[in-house]
Amino acid sequence: MAEVKRERWAGRAPFIFAAIGSAIGLGNVWRFPYLSYQNGGGVFLIPYIIGLFVLGIPWMMVEFGMGRYFQKGAPGVFAGIGKKWEWLGWWPVFVAFLINTYYTVVIAWSLHYALSSLTVAWGTGQAGAKAAGDYFFKSVLQLSDGPGTLGAPVWGILGLLLLVWVLLYLVMYRGAKAIGTVSIWMVIAAWVLIAALIIRGITLPGGADGLNFYLAPDFSDLGKVEIWFGAFSQIAFSLSLGMAGMFAYGSCVARKADVTNSAAITSFSDTSTSFFAGFAVFSIVGFLMQALNVPIDKIAVRSLGLAFVSYPAAISMIPGGNALVGVLFFLCLFFLGFTSAYFLAYGGVIIPLVDKYGWNKTKTTVWVCVASFVVGILYTTKGGLYWLDIIDRSVSFYGLLITGAFACLVVGWVFGAKKLREHVNETSDIRVGAWWDWLIKIVVPAALLFVVIYGGFRNDLAKPYEGYPMWAASIIWVVLVGTLIFSFILQGTKPKAPKGGEQK
Amino acid sequence: MTAGAIISAIIIAAILIGGFAFCFSRLGKGGKWED
Repeated sequence: MAEVKRERWAGRAPFIFAAIGSAIGLGNVWRFPYLSYQNGGGVFLIPYIIGLFVLGIPWMMVEFGMGRYFQKGAPGVFAGIGKKWEWLGWWPVFVAFLINTYYTVVIAWSLHYALSSLTVAWGTGQAGAKAAGDYFFKSVLQLSDGPGTLGAPVWGILGLLLLVWVLLYLVMYRGAKAIGTVSIWMVIAAWVLIAALIIRGITLPGGADGLNFYLAPDFSDLGKVEIWFGAFSQIAFSLSLGMAGMFAYGSCVARKADVTNSAAITSFSDTSTSFFAGFAVFSIVGFLMQALNVPIDKIAVRSLGLAFVSYPAAISMIPGGNALVGVLFFLCLFFLGFTSAYFLAYGGVIIPLVDKYGWNKTKTTVWVCVASFVVGILYTTKGGLYWLDIIDRSVSFYGLLITGAFACLVVGWVFGAKKLREHVNETSDIRVGAWWDWLIKIVVPAALLFVVIYGGFRNDLAKPYEGYPMWAASIIWVVLVGTLIFSFILQGTKPKAPKGGEQK
Repeated sequence: MTAGAIISAIIIAAILIGGFAFCFSRLGKGGKWED
């Protein structure tokens, strides 16, 4: 059979921007700044930077390096190590697929808010600020009273979800070259928007004061386990590792191209985005505190509450150009989310399927988009937010961390950390030493399992997650075990195309 | 902003700039974008 060339990035910049686009996401805006505020302010960066060097960058080198070595997505990489390990490549594929089914719904909410910001639909002034919560939960989500009450889809959100998947298809069907080009524009656009939001935020009354909550150091926190848990978990979630996609992105890297420096630049870019997004977030929080005359503990400063309640509340109170601030903020969320969404779909799911089964890439892209959209309908229902929270806990917390830990153990001990290090050192700008082997073999898996046990099992086995009914909390374990079983099933299936075939 | 917050911001920015400076100083020292 004639050898078919592997798909390639158009160059180094498209590859790095695609990787940065996958790494930076909604968590840079709504999780990192909150963790800093909760864990000693500026001191939080000490464990974070340490974690970046001992956990994040080495782990990223594993995924880039193994993808390039085998020129395959995650399942092909682990099948290459040994047929019995192929399941370990499929498990993160399921993780990526399921994460994307709800991640795209959050992107749809962002689009909804970008449009409704034009008229500040939840109201302006004090009344609007107070109505922001009700607008999100009662008007936009039409939230039911629990996960057992699904109700019909919210049609407006469903329509926007369809639009998101159509846009994702239009980027993905043309492959890595189009993804690289789109990533350059979208990542730069997100950075420009963050810069604009920072300028507007710190020029608002109380804006600069809000930054004290984000940055003022408290060294007494440094000895607490929580700060290390917060730093390690944020690195694990933020770099988009453990979701199969970075193996695939690495597989499209030329055989003589750098790996280590690209991993470092991607990681530093992600951290910088988080750091600067914190200015945009906490300046607005400071403004809102002053405008409403409330303490910070009365304001949601993380996750959905920050993005879809506190930020809109602040937009209501901003004296001039508030609609513009709203549009910029939610467009920023859209760009951050969108570049991660096509990473999850293309690198996380489409490339692994095409690699193994030799399917037509365009048709596979269509079917992955359709399947993801259909599953995503669940999260557009009136009980969808509860399901989003539960599935997120299962795949984005347990799935990502456990597959990441096992992947590093298998690469480190079975494939050989030294073998991989020598492979990446041959062509990389930065040569890594033998110390790296022990990071992969011991430190990275131990750090990931620490997060799983300390932040997961310790709480979720003691009582149902977030106080959900037992049947609903049990879905976390059902999904986790179910995806593992399906991973073994896919390992047992036979590929249509011979090994070495490529996708076109 | 308090002095502590300003100093924190400057130190963190310096670390990140230093990291980028190192990465960009190494660009092209090893790999080539070709097969």
